[in-house]
Amino acid sequence: MQTPSIITMQSLSKFYEMGDQTVRALDLINLDFRKNDYTAIMGPSGSGKSTLMNILGCLDTPTSGIYELNGQDVATMDDDELARIRNKEIGFVFQTFNLLPRLNCLRNVELPLIYAGVAPEEREERASKALINVGLGDRIKHKPAELSGGQIQRVAIARALINNPSIILADEPTGNLDTTTSHDIMNIFGTLSDAGNTIILITHEEDIAHYTRRIIRLRDGKIESDVRR
Amino acid sequence: MKLTNRQFRYETTESLKMALFQIRANKIRSFLTALGVIIGIVAITMMGTAINGIDRGFDKSLAMLGYDVIYVQKSSWSTMGQWWRYRNRPDIKTAYAEQINRIIIDNPRSELAIAVPQSSTYQASAKYRDRNLEQVFALGTNHNYLQTASGELSSGRFFTAGEAASDEMVCVVGDDIASGLFPNEPVLGKFVQLKNRKFRIIGIFRKQGKFLGLFSFDNQIIVPLGAFERVYGKNMFTSIRVKIKEQTRVIEAKEELLGLMRRIRKIVPGKEEDFSINEQRAFKSQLDPIKNGIALAGIFITGMSLFVGAIGIMNITFVSVKERTREIGLRKALGARQQTILLQFLIESVMICLIGGVIGLGITFFITFAIGQLFPALPIQFSFDLVFASLVVSVITGVVSGLAPAISASKLDPADSLRYE
Repeated sequence: MQTPSIITMQSLSKFYEMGDQTVRALDLINLDFRKNDYTAIMGPSGSGKSTLMNILGCLDTPTSGIYELNGQDVATMDDDELARIRNKEIGFVFQTFNLLPRLNCLRNVELPLIYAGVAPEEREERASKALINVGLGDRIKHKPAELSGGQIQRVAIARALINNPSIILADEPTGNLDTTTSHDIMNIFGTLSDAGNTIILITHEEDIAHYTRRIIRLRDGKIESDVRR
Repeated sequence: MKLTNRQFRYETTESLKMALFQIRANKIRSFLTALGVIIGIVAITMMGTAINGIDRGFDKSLAMLGYDVIYVQKSSWSTMGQWWRYRNRPDIKTAYAEQINRIIIDNPRSELAIAVPQSSTYQASAKYRDRNLEQVFALGTNHNYLQTASGELSSGRFFTAGEAASDEMVCVVGDDIASGLFPNEPVLGKFVQLKNRKFRIIGIFRKQGKFLGLFSFDNQIIVPLGAFERVYGKNMFTSIRVKIKEQTRVIEAKEELLGLMRRIRKIVPGKEEDFSINEQRAFKSQLDPIKNGIALAGIFITGMSLFVGAIGIMNITFVSVKERTREIGLRKALGARQQTILLQFLIESVMICLIGGVIGLGITFFITFAIGQLFPALPIQFSFDLVFASLVVSVITGVVSGLAPAISASKLDPADSLRYE
């Protein structure tokens, strides 16, 4: 039996006007992500993977086509509705981590809960638990500058998970990490996938992509291949 | 999409915390930014303090004249300095007081309580043995004078109806006269000489201070009217003091007195009266242009410095938005809405302005305190209204200067901002 779709993209396009030229960053893409998919999106630079990532993450809207996330039509939403979707449905992990340097780990992980309107006591409790789950129970009050790259990325993963999102969207999550640490981080993603999470990775590293169960390759704004293993 | 109350509260708390963080992380920058507001608030509060002080000093002086006394005189106080307009008017006769009183008594619904005559000179000299005081204010009146004046006696008594009627050579003196002519010796019962006549001192006024800093009630010698005329003649400066029943009904009382005086002077209807009815409010209206001038200058200076301050804050907030583009992108990625970001930057600029305002208030408070210590005579008033007004002005400055950068921050594209280097 097939698991239900979390994401459905049909004839989805994104065009940019560059002077008098139209760049087709995404050209009539059809994609489907099911619950508990563990996917890597690959492709050379300029292939449209960043644009796809932005649209998947509701940071941007398509020029045309259908994008349904958890049954909600995202393509036509306004900025504030998109903000709510990002808050509830998507957990971001970035290559550059993007923690706020002035805040300690706990406060960084709490941020999405603030925008979700969760009470302070509950925020603290959930954020502490999330940090304990990624093995940073003893670093809760540390600031990012006091942590290693791998630890920082684990804080970011804790932050991505805090609101129980439908999908985890990781943009080159190991791009700034050494091989050993990359391996650690990918193991965490593996564990998360085993626990039933839906994960989409963007990467240009083959060995990272091979941690996943599905590899989508993009070229010139089109899907070149989509392989499940 | 509806924003829940709770969400708003948590986001605002977060924004407040972040603003404090930001200000603490950039102390010097924040202080320099707030400097314009500090100067503006010092200007606004100093100006307000000065105006308050003038007002208070003035009210104190006017209270000496009595709020419930109006004066029938040859010339009007509200057009002071235009003496030529009144030069040809007939003198006010002290006998009018008696005529007015008779009419008042016959009319129980009169707004007027009592009329008291007075004749006076500012140029008297008072002598006791070898001591001499020049420019003394000598005043002749009757025993009802105290009902129309604000002074109290510190010792002795005022002269009686009998003494007034028989023009006894007695006097009641102001505090400066008593201490000037009789330092370290008893005053009551001594004789003070006006021109070539000697008056026995029977009472002393409590010290009152100067009227508008110009004229002192402590410098007066009050004698029965007949005795005054015996010394100075009948052609001195005369007026009728009229006490009114209700302080709040000055206008009605003035109307009534005007009619009364026209009857006494037999002025036919339609003809302009040849006397003036004065009250202390006339002084107030003379002072208003000065006060307004100070206020206008103050608003201009304050406005300029606040304007400069606001531009500084706007500039710094734009820089701050630029610097924190990635933070804005991240917050949006994590679910911050446009208005959340807007509010965050707005709160930051308002907070800088508020801190500036509070520092400015502190400086003003210190300055007024210092001036008050150095020159206790200056009427200086630091009021709660001013504190409130300057805090409101600070907040408005913060909103005005923070709005444009905050809007630009809220409109940033999250995807681009996240990649901003």
